[in-house]
Amino acid sequence: MTLEQKAADMAGIEIRDLHLSFGDTKVLTGINLSIRPGEFFAFLGPSGSGKSTLLRAIAGFGPQPKGEILIGGREVATLPPWKRDVGMVFQSYALWPHMSVRENVAFGLQERKVPAKEIRSRVDEALALVGLSHLADRMPNQLSGGQQQRIALARTVVIQPKVLLLDEPLSNLDASLRVQMRRELLALQRKLGLTTIFVTHDQEEANTTADRMAVLDGGVIQQIGSPQELYDRPVNLFVARFLGTANILEGQVEIGSDGALFRTATGDVLHLPAEGTAGPSNIVLRPQNIRIEQVSAPDTLQGEILHREFLGSQVRYLVRAAGTEIVVDQSHRAGEVWLDPGTGVHLAANTRDAVLIPRGA
Amino acid sequence: MRNTLKGTAAALVLASTSTAAWAEGSVVVVTSFPDDMTSVIEAAFEAAHPEYDLEILNRSTSSGVRYIQEIASNNTADVFWASAPDAFEVLKSNHLLAHAGISTEGIPDMIGAYPVNDPDGFYYGFAASGYGIMWNTRYMDANGLEPAREWSDLARPEYFGHVGMSAPSRSGTTHLTVETVLQGEGWEQGWAEWKWIAGNFASVTERSFGVPDGVNTGNFGLGIVIDFFGFSSRASGFPVDFAYPTVTALVPANVGVVENAPNPDGARAFVEFLLSPAGQETLFDPAIMRLPVNPAAYEAAPEGLPNPFEDTSIGAEVLFDVDTSGARYYVVSSLFDVMITYRLDDLRAAVRAVQMAEERHADGANAEAAALIAEARALIEAMPITEEQSLDPAFSGAFTATRRAASDQVEQRQAELEQQWDAFVVQNYARARELAEQAAAM
Amino acid sequence: MTKGPHPASFADRLPAFLFPRLSPIAMVGLFIALILFGFLIFPVLQVITVAFQDPASGALTLNNFGDFFGSALFRQSFFNSFYVSAISVVVATVIALPLAYITTRFNFSGSILIQSLGFIPLIMPPFVGAVAMQLIFGRNGTINLLLREHFGFTLPFMEGLNGVILVQSIHYFPFILINLSASLRNIDRSMEEAAQNLGAHGLRLFRRIVFPLATPGYIAGAALVFIKVFDDLGTPLLLNVNNMLAPQAFLRITSVGLNDPMGYVISVILVAFSILSLWASFLVMRGKDYATVQKGGGGLAKRDLALREKILAYGVVIFILLIVLSPHIGLLLLSFGTIWSFAPLPDAYTFDNYIRMWEGSQQYVMNTLLYAGLAATLDVILGTAIAYIVLRTGIAGRKWLDYMATAALAVPGVVLGIGYLRTFQDVDVPFVGKPLASWWVIIAIALMIRRLPYALRACMAALQQVSLALEEAAESLGASKFRTIRRVVVPLMTGGILAGFVTSFATAAVELSATIMLVSAERDSPLAYGIYLFMQTPSGRGAGAALGVLAVVIVALGTVLSQIIIERDKKLRTAGRD
Repeated sequence: MTLEQKAADMAGIEIRDLHLSFGDTKVLTGINLSIRPGEFFAFLGPSGSGKSTLLRAIAGFGPQPKGEILIGGREVATLPPWKRDVGMVFQSYALWPHMSVRENVAFGLQERKVPAKEIRSRVDEALALVGLSHLADRMPNQLSGGQQQRIALARTVVIQPKVLLLDEPLSNLDASLRVQMRRELLALQRKLGLTTIFVTHDQEEANTTADRMAVLDGGVIQQIGSPQELYDRPVNLFVARFLGTANILEGQVEIGSDGALFRTATGDVLHLPAEGTAGPSNIVLRPQNIRIEQVSAPDTLQGEILHREFLGSQVRYLVRAAGTEIVVDQSHRAGEVWLDPGTGVHLAANTRDAVLIPRGA
Repeated sequence: MRNTLKGTAAALVLASTSTAAWAEGSVVVVTSFPDDMTSVIEAAFEAAHPEYDLEILNRSTSSGVRYIQEIASNNTADVFWASAPDAFEVLKSNHLLAHAGISTEGIPDMIGAYPVNDPDGFYYGFAASGYGIMWNTRYMDANGLEPAREWSDLARPEYFGHVGMSAPSRSGTTHLTVETVLQGEGWEQGWAEWKWIAGNFASVTERSFGVPDGVNTGNFGLGIVIDFFGFSSRASGFPVDFAYPTVTALVPANVGVVENAPNPDGARAFVEFLLSPAGQETLFDPAIMRLPVNPAAYEAAPEGLPNPFEDTSIGAEVLFDVDTSGARYYVVSSLFDVMITYRLDDLRAAVRAVQMAEERHADGANAEAAALIAEARALIEAMPITEEQSLDPAFSGAFTATRRAASDQVEQRQAELEQQWDAFVVQNYARARELAEQAAAM
Repeated sequence: MTKGPHPASFADRLPAFLFPRLSPIAMVGLFIALILFGFLIFPVLQVITVAFQDPASGALTLNNFGDFFGSALFRQSFFNSFYVSAISVVVATVIALPLAYITTRFNFSGSILIQSLGFIPLIMPPFVGAVAMQLIFGRNGTINLLLREHFGFTLPFMEGLNGVILVQSIHYFPFILINLSASLRNIDRSMEEAAQNLGAHGLRLFRRIVFPLATPGYIAGAALVFIKVFDDLGTPLLLNVNNMLAPQAFLRITSVGLNDPMGYVISVILVAFSILSLWASFLVMRGKDYATVQKGGGGLAKRDLALREKILAYGVVIFILLIVLSPHIGLLLLSFGTIWSFAPLPDAYTFDNYIRMWEGSQQYVMNTLLYAGLAATLDVILGTAIAYIVLRTGIAGRKWLDYMATAALAVPGVVLGIGYLRTFQDVDVPFVGKPLASWWVIIAIALMIRRLPYALRACMAALQQVSLALEEAAESLGASKFRTIRRVVVPLMTGGILAGFVTSFATAAVELSATIMLVSAERDSPLAYGIYLFMQTPSGRGAGAALGVLAVVIVALGTVLSQIIIERDKKLRTAGRD
């Protein structure tokens, strides 16, 4: 018996037109989602975006949603939690304080009426998997946060669930442990080949672990895709702002004689490399795609440095330009002379890496 | 006025001073008599003596005695007023009663076979009561029973589980009833009778009022109670009735002035009032219904209340010996508790087994069974101590409170004795039950 | 007072000992210790020394304890007491568990019923409860008369020990209900969800996860029930059950003229065994602080009930409430009944009992409000002070304040009453000209001591929820210790203090066992004593019942009122937190 899944056992998750409300408050609206078997998928969003509610709906907790949830092709939306065969790791770990580590891990197997001998070997295997075999007889309150997290994981994977749901699993750990744990999580997921959903509000966590992710806001999925797609090609301002730092200028796309150009509300003009659709639009510029020039040139925005922060590999400037405040990152080289607040500068934007988002999206 | 003042903390001192002022005319009476009775007499007394304010403190007889004992060092009680002469004997022997020297003119020395007043003058009888049988008519009808008229009737098998009584250690008047039968029938025969009656008990109540209460509610059908409980329950409308058996003692209910009373004049005035014709007539109140000790008072007696000074059949059968009763007072109380109160379940089981066996062999044809039954009966009736022992002062000394000189060595402690008796009766009851069941199976 | 790095020599300590420089808080602690010693420990010692004396010579001896264990009757009494207490805990659990479960787990409109009626059994004077229970469940009570008439058999609800168990479980189950509900509410929702997620549900889920997590609260409640039943006197006496320890002690102590030391020996054993039980429950609970609500957790998920489930739940709740409120129903019937004798219901109904009751008992009501109010007020003041000293200061021996105050739980009321008479009969109160033992204030003091443990627990719990940081903030802003306590700590503890006040007040208002020894004048009598007086006469039963109903109504109103205040206070505080 092994915890690793055969490809045939891997289950995908299909969510169709899911709606959910707490009383009169709509919490999830029109969720459609398809997660592939074996995929590491993240739900990313600010608090209150509905990401945890969606995860809990998949596990069978919370109010009954409308719509379909299919796990491995089986409709589960109307099943109680204990019949869904999904494993969930809770934000608080929810280790039962009255049971030892071993009893905690064995619980799910006992509920499944697995023979005692087999329970023992599978619990040992699961504890070995998370590297905590030596703590089997401890009580949960004798464990550190990271150990509790691993036990919670072992307790869930030991039942060989079809999918693994992780609800903000790293939020109760301190920063250094968090990085280590997310690597371990990913390694474990790859090893077991478990279809996994990971809920987080931390884009770095999502970016570093997920194959694909869904960004949620206001109970609605804003965009689904790989971390790179979402960063590079956000479909709306929310996604653009939520993933990384984004400078957003309001303006208009115009098709001029020398191709498309973006005219800001203050009248500055940026030439666009590709054809655009004329009309009111926003342009998203990432801080690292803007250069600071001392002299004026075409396609630059005139501004004044307001503030400077040294981040080690980069120097971050806050520049007032085009009627707004623009963040600019300049990579730092030893001995470089920094610009002081108050200095007048010109910003050259690399419009090839910019994204145009039509007004209203 | 005092009440409203009491409500506010600021008035504490005021309240206390007003208490002190008012205490001049107050007479504190510790009594076991119910409010029904005391309120009537209180009103009559205060009307006759407006200068005094009667302060009634209701306690069961036993805790009343205990209370007077505990507060003796700084006494606040003036009068002790209760039924049982024995309670007064205890207080007297503890030197807690005063020699009040109140005139008892017109009151005979004896009522039935019992002396009315303490010959040493520490307490006075003011009313007479006798024990009898009280029954609930609805209960009797529902169970198809006839009321028992004599003590011995109560031992009949048809009353199994229908009888209630208090214990002599809890109620002085119950003690008197037990002792009356013991003296009337003899030590062995008397105890045997009590055990056969007790075998029919539904329960032994902790308070003497528990018995009329049990009959009134129909919790059990018949109770061994003092007469006024029967009369006043009937007067309150309960479907109950009462009768004196031929063997009963008329016993005076008593009153005495407490030694070192804060208001000795008030105390004396109250006792004198109780013994006066006016005080005696208050006893005819329907809520009281006790027999006056002053024969002159009977002229005003209501219909149906017997006059023991004319109808000598009541309480005349037994010549009650107070000395015998006093000498073994605690031994009898303790024996009753050990053999009956605390082992009621064992006793009932044994008695029931004998009753069943006797019913089975009512014709007496089976000699072997009859022998077994006789043996079982003897076991139930067997006594752990003889009458001589019960009267031996060294023996009863184990039960009394008084400190003795180191020279009169007490052989055994009460707890040791009780344990021996307990072992004795538990074993006998169990064996009797076995034998009776054996006989019944034949 | 704390030990320095080097153990100080006796000579070093001597001056400090002779001229202690006590902080104001330590003085308060010392004062409380003196009160507890004077009004609890010393009087009880006065009583129990008799247990160690030879009755004849007064010499010290352990013979009496030898006699106790040598006596089959006492061994049986001990066993019966233990058996009755244990089974009462079981029955009380059976009553409390479904109620606690339904209120904490489901969105159930009947929860209000449970919350408002569930505590009422506690505020019935136990001896009145026994009278009413006899009328309903007794061998010829309502139920058995009906059973006999229609089905030809009866059930021995009230026979012997059964009766004691039934009355006690019904009287004391709220202790379990209150503690268990609180515990259930404190379980983090994810604890349960994790188990469901791993395949557990229904009864197994409850048995393996939910109930074990609620054990600390359950044990606290169960231990209380156990001790109260073990020590209780009134109920077995009223049901004429003698073969238990407390009645044996009472019977022996109060028998006319008998000076049998066994009563006192039994008292010592009662006190010792109760303390042992308390200690055992502390041991069991140690290391089991499962208060697991974490941030974002928030209690167990409450589920909506389907119609059928709702009907079932209402059925269960109403059935249980009918049983636990049957003493009150019986009392109500009795108070409006004319004659109730060997019949399922009273013969006729009338208001006369209330009229008679009202004429004779305003005094009792006033006295009860005064005594119970005074006792409960002193209780919460002492409780708050002790809680503060124990939890927030480092005063040496502070734990002993807690132990001493809690020990009152283990002292039977009769023992305390007799102890007071022995101790204070010779102490004259200045200006009053009476011994302290017969001054009405002593009754309030006895009630205060008896109810202090309840108030103390409530105050402790309340203080534990006040973050230390709030106090430090006040102190750093320049408030003195006492001002901090008055302006920050006590206001934040209001809810808990009120809860303590209510429990103390409600139970003190119906207490009889200690007061019956201490009432020295009828005009000083409290309600429970008044009921007792009425119930001693054939014609007074109805009036006594009416007074009992009045007592329940008064205390219930008070409780509901303070419940409202507590709820409002809770809302204010949560509003302030957001």
